Parts: sequence; structure tokens; C-alpha cells
Amino acid sequence: MAEDIKTKIKNYKTAPFNSRFPNQNQTRNCWQNYLHFHRCEKAMTAKGGDVSACEWYHCVYKSLCPISWVSKWDDRRRAEGMFPRKI
Amino acid sequence: MTHQMHAYHMVNPSPWPLTGALSALLMTSGLIMWFHFNSLMLLILGLATNTLTMYQWWRDIIREGTFQGHHTPIVQKGLRYGMILFIISEVFFFAGFFWAFYHSSLAPTPELGGCWPPTGIYPLNPMEVPLLNTSVLLASGVSITWAHHSLLEGNRKQMLQALSITIMLGIYFTLLQMSEYFETSFTISDSVYGSTFFMATGFHGLHVIIGSTFLTICFFRQLKFHFTSNHHFGFEAAAWYWHFVDVVWLFLYVSIYWWGS
Repeated sequence: MAEDIKTKIKNYKTAPFNSRFPNQNQTRNCWQNYLHFHRCEKAMTAKGGDVSACEWYHCVYKSLCPISWVSKWDDRRRAEGMFPRKI
Repeated sequence: MTHQMHAYHMVNPSPWPLTGALSALLMTSGLIMWFHFNSLMLLILGLATNTLTMYQWWRDIIREGTFQGHHTPIVQKGLRYGMILFIISEVFFFAGFFWAFYHSSLAPTPELGGCWPPTGIYPLNPMEVPLLNTSVLLASGVSITWAHHSLLEGNRKQMLQALSITIMLGIYFTLLQMSEYFETSFTISDSVYGSTFFMATGFHGLHVIIGSTFLTICFFRQLKFHFTSNHHFGFEAAAWYWHFVDVVWLFLYVSIYWWGS
């Protein structure tokens, strides 16, 4: 499975269809992948695992999310108590 | 001397529609003066003229119906249609606030944390005072039905008892809700949660006060022998309105207090 992931990341073009988010409004898709990536990164770093496994979520949210949202969320994550979800 | 050859009520010219319209203008512009220019004068004037219009208009209707006999069966039918249509319009009014609530709560945005209740909002426990409020209004629905049946059976004393219980339950609800408003850890400006919560429950509370007032008027009319056992539309209209207020609360409780927590 990890091989598949690495190949998928290598051949990545853009975010594929995700049946969890079938409608036009893809806000949730962007948000979910952003959360997944940062939680995955935090968990892997804490347990000393392979952070490159989280790269998929990184690619997807970079493709989907507006840059202004990402920079706003990144700023909020760094500030204490400003991000509305647990990372 | 000419008499009308039909059973309808050709109402005499009255100044109250005009004073009502003027009071509406004063109230709306008064709100603007209050919100933006820190002046209460126009609003107070508007509320006063509005209250006076309501008092005098409805007093005249009671005079025309109860004392002068103009409310024949067909006239009463028209009044029934009127009240039903009014209540339907109120249903649509509340539908808007429920739409707003569901719009925001079914798809919570990232700003809220993508969850409902939003991050940082601690809702009231639906099993505490809100549940008591539900039982209070349901009980008042029972007591008002008792009052109606007493009235139909010509039991004056019981009608007054049952109606006073209904009114007291209404006041109890209002007092409980007021204390709950002080208990919330959130205000109206706390995200869309606060907005939807206070707009919906606030307007509901206003309607409870209006309904209780209507019932109180009926109480005094009953004391003054205005109602007969088969002609008491004013009371029926108040009862319909009261049941409507109860049903709105049930929707509020299930949607906002229970599901929304």
C-alpha cells in the first residue's frame, strides 16, 4: 500500500474525485485534507514515523484550497488558541 | 329608515388604520434613530401610538361584535379565515429563522471549526430548563383546552380557573426563558450560533408575550360576560394563536436545543 501511495504521489497531477464530497461546493474537501495533513504530520513527528506518508493530503489540499485560506489557517495555527480545531 | 338587506358588516369609517400605519412609520424610523443616532424619542412615540391604535381598534371591534351584534355567522367566518391566514403568515415568518439555522448548522464552515455547535460554544443542556419549558407549554395547551370545554358547557367558574392557569403557565415560561438568557455563556454576537439562537428564540419569546396578553384580554372579557357558550370567537382566536406558539416552541426545542447541541 505504501508503494501505491508513493507511486500515486509521484504521478500526482491534481486532486482526484472523492466520493465523500460529490457536490460542487468543495470547501469541506479542502478543509478535511488540510486538517488530515497537519494532524498526520504532528502524529508522525511525535511517534517518529515517516512523514512522507502524509504527503498525499498535502498535495490534495494544495490543489483544492484557495491560497488565502491556507495562509490564514497557517497563521492561526501558529497563534495560540486561534485555530478552531485540534491539530 | 333604510336597513341593510344582507348579513355582512359594513364597518363605519375609522381612524385606526391610518394611526396604525403612521405608528408603523414612527416605529421603523424610530429604530433607525435608536440604532444609528442614539435617540429613543421617535421609537417611544411609535410604540405609544402603536399601543393606542391596537387598544382602540380592538376595543371598537368588541363594541361592534359583542355589544352591537354585527358579528353574524358569516362575519364570524370571515374573521376565522383572517386569523388562520394571519397564523399561516407567522408560520412563514418563523420558517425563515429555521431556514437560517439549518443552513448554517447542516454545513458548518471552517471558521466555526467545521462542527456544530461551533468551537468554543457551550450550548444549554436541553435536559434542564429547556425541557421544563417544553412541559410548561404542553401543559398550558391542556389547560386552554379545558378552558374552552368549560366555556362550551357554560361553566363560568371553571373557564376562568383554566384560563388563569394557562396565563400563569405562559408567564412562568417567559420568566424561565428570561433567566435562561442570563445563564447562556454565549451572546447574540457569538458567531452564527448566537445569531440563529437568539433570533429564533427571541421572536418566539415575543410571541409568547403577545399570546399571553391576548389570553389575558380574554380573561377580562369573560369576567365581563362578553362570551356565550356558542359565540366566543375572540377566545378561539387566542387559543389558536396559543397552540401555534406551543408548536413553534416544539420545533425550536427539537432543532436548536436538542439536535443543535
